[in-house]
Amino acid sequence: MNGRRVAITGLGVVAPQAGSVAALCARLLEGHSAIQRLGSPFEEGLRSPIGARADFDCAAHLPAARLRMLDRVAQLALVAASQAVVDARLDFATERRARCGVSVGSSMGGAGTTDEGYHILYAQQSQRVKPYTVLASMTNAPAAWIGIEYGLAGPNLTYSTACSSSAVAIGEAARRIASGEMDVMLAGGTEAPLTFGVLRAWEAMRTLATADPHEPAASCRPFSLSRTGLVLGEGAAFVALEDWEHAMARGACIHAELTGYGLTTDTEHITRPSVAGQAAAMRAALGSAELAPDAVDYINAHGTGTLQNDAAETAAIKEVFGERAYRLPVSSTKSMHGHLLGAAGALEFVVAVACMERGAIPPTMHLDAADPDCDLDYVSGRARSQALRTVMSNSFAFGGTNAVLIAARPPIHA
Amino acid sequence: MSTLTTLQDILMEEFDLARERLAPEAKLAALGVDSLDLLELMFKIEDRYSIAIRDDVPTDLVSVGDVVRYIDRLLADRERAGGAARPAPP
Repeated sequence: MNGRRVAITGLGVVAPQAGSVAALCARLLEGHSAIQRLGSPFEEGLRSPIGARADFDCAAHLPAARLRMLDRVAQLALVAASQAVVDARLDFATERRARCGVSVGSSMGGAGTTDEGYHILYAQQSQRVKPYTVLASMTNAPAAWIGIEYGLAGPNLTYSTACSSSAVAIGEAARRIASGEMDVMLAGGTEAPLTFGVLRAWEAMRTLATADPHEPAASCRPFSLSRTGLVLGEGAAFVALEDWEHAMARGACIHAELTGYGLTTDTEHITRPSVAGQAAAMRAALGSAELAPDAVDYINAHGTGTLQNDAAETAAIKEVFGERAYRLPVSSTKSMHGHLLGAAGALEFVVAVACMERGAIPPTMHLDAADPDCDLDYVSGRARSQALRTVMSNSFAFGGTNAVLIAARPPIHA
Repeated sequence: MSTLTTLQDILMEEFDLARERLAPEAKLAALGVDSLDLLELMFKIEDRYSIAIRDDVPTDLVSVGDVVRYIDRLLADRERAGGAARPAPP
């Protein structure tokens, strides 16, 4: 990126099937899917009552008095952000807090609180809407609470660009560090969409996968000829981003360097993905990282499992990487953790960075039938051990905002 | 059970507060109970006493004792109107 180098010094996740980065990587590298049937009341009213729940007991992390004020979306965010802070060994008491900020992506905000409020008002015909409804459901609540928790007085920003929200949040935070404006940014995404109202709305769009009748965990099948759509998941993921010199001066352990960020917008259609737009975002990220396409070792794809996305993304990767596209490992971990919407970009970026550290590529699961339009190396069915120096994470969105992040292993002598 | 004891029970349950901190003169702000918490508290009080509290809760309820007096006033109003004044079982 232009300007100062950006170090990734902390990682944190609360994800489907895992409450830590280490556990998440282990599960994904095992090829384990967290997608499951959701039980009552979802079974009664939905055609596709499946999702990926986060392994998360909010009461174990947050006091009751605080919990009352927080939607699940903020609870997830606070816990994931705290993991990133602890991992980075950041002590904000010793930082210039006006040069520390928060950058969060979320698509649906406090959807559960909104859903509950409407239920009280319209279904129960009661006036007893909770006094915290506005504060819990506002989309910037997670970012605000993180800022309050650590006393961070720099920019406190929330980006809502649907499924690329948190990739944008991380990229924009990195730019603020690169520009010299900020020294430390807690950046990530959070989403808690597993409410009846949200699931029904997504179902009405005909974008959700059909539940596999024999194996619900195999319902999301990115790049497969038999793919039927996406599966919603919940969770949060955060990175601590830091000016490289600032991180070095305090002796921080650096996971990786955030080297590239590309951002473009499709203007043709509100949902239909554009090959040209996606390719332009990947090219912009490579340009920002000053990298040739050959330097990328792995792409964590947007790979939603919808007919349109997977074919368009495959075509876009071919457009950018040419013949090398066929030798470039590309996988969609959404086949296991589902689509976390506004948190997806952050979760998958954390996965890409953490797997780069582990020298392993997570697989695309349930790719049981080859689609002629999807003919790349999707690392099907089994993780692969491979030294990785540079990884790319793609996030594309309804509304057309395409965001691509690139991270690289830190130099040995860094 | 007195109104004070009932209110203390609710505050202990909802706000993780010890009973000894909940004397009538204890200030709500010092207990960490802000104006929105107070509105949330009113829902619990409505349930406990089977009374209806309108949105316009007075803004001058500063101490635990103020809330007790407010509840007692509502209960007295209700009794005058011919309703039951006993707390509902929790």
